[in-house]
Amino acid sequence: MAIFKRVQLEEEAEIPTASMADIAFLLIIFFMTTTNFAREKGLKFVLPEKKDQPQELKVKSENLLKISINDRGEVFLNDEQGDWNNLEREVKRRLEKNPKLIIFIRTHKDAPYEYMIKAFDAVKAAGGTRVGLGIIGEVQQ
Amino acid sequence: MRLPRKRLYKASIPTASMSDIAFLLIIFFMTVTIFRKARGLPVQLPYAKTTERILKQRDLSYIWISKDGKISVDDNLVSAKRVSLIFRTKIQENPALITSIKADKDVPYRYVYDVMEALRDANALRIVFSTRKGG
Repeated sequence: MAIFKRVQLEEEAEIPTASMADIAFLLIIFFMTTTNFAREKGLKFVLPEKKDQPQELKVKSENLLKISINDRGEVFLNDEQGDWNNLEREVKRRLEKNPKLIIFIRTHKDAPYEYMIKAFDAVKAAGGTRVGLGIIGEVQQ
Repeated sequence: MRLPRKRLYKASIPTASMSDIAFLLIIFFMTVTIFRKARGLPVQLPYAKTTERILKQRDLSYIWISKDGKISVDDNLVSAKRVSLIFRTKIQENPALITSIKADKDVPYRYVYDVMEALRDANALRIVFSTRKGG
């Protein structure tokens, strides 16, 4: 009997690894279904720092291009009415003429956000990197 | 007499390394998985041609702005002033924070502008206007 017992003990010392793969695959399936590879997409922008004293930056008017969008979604370049379809070409042309150009996009407070993105997109596509964003009309803070 | 036995022995598939392969895959998916933190608000994002992919997914924090000007951060409806407070703590936790603004394309611009001003107050300056690729 004593010999028989020892043999049984030796058998018990084995770890069953057959189901290990099953557990592992279960976890794989869990992580596979919860993973979302969809990356975030968008337009990058860095906001200007807020200082205690408002910084006044003097820009020569020839170095500044104001793109204004009114509440009806019409676009103005400096003070002339522009065309949405031509905006990118026009900005590009002006940037080529003056690479130091600073572009300031002013959007009316009631204009749909989409138009501001449209203008910003056109400026980005035209290669403009110095961009400011502003608002037309009073805003309560 | 012994030949059939040998054939039986050859037919077995070694499964010992199966779990190693499986665990390798687990580790891959574990490191790649990012759980969604918030469900947000239903928004229709605007289209933009120059839409870029944002690779630093882990530094991203989201702000949703719905069509009627509701602002949502981490599934709480907040005011623009609260956004500033929330992001002040967020930027302290992670100075490399990038804020993704998921605003509806039809929302009046002043709501987006208020949020941008609030982020400036909080010194969370790196933002992304979330858009869809397209003209």
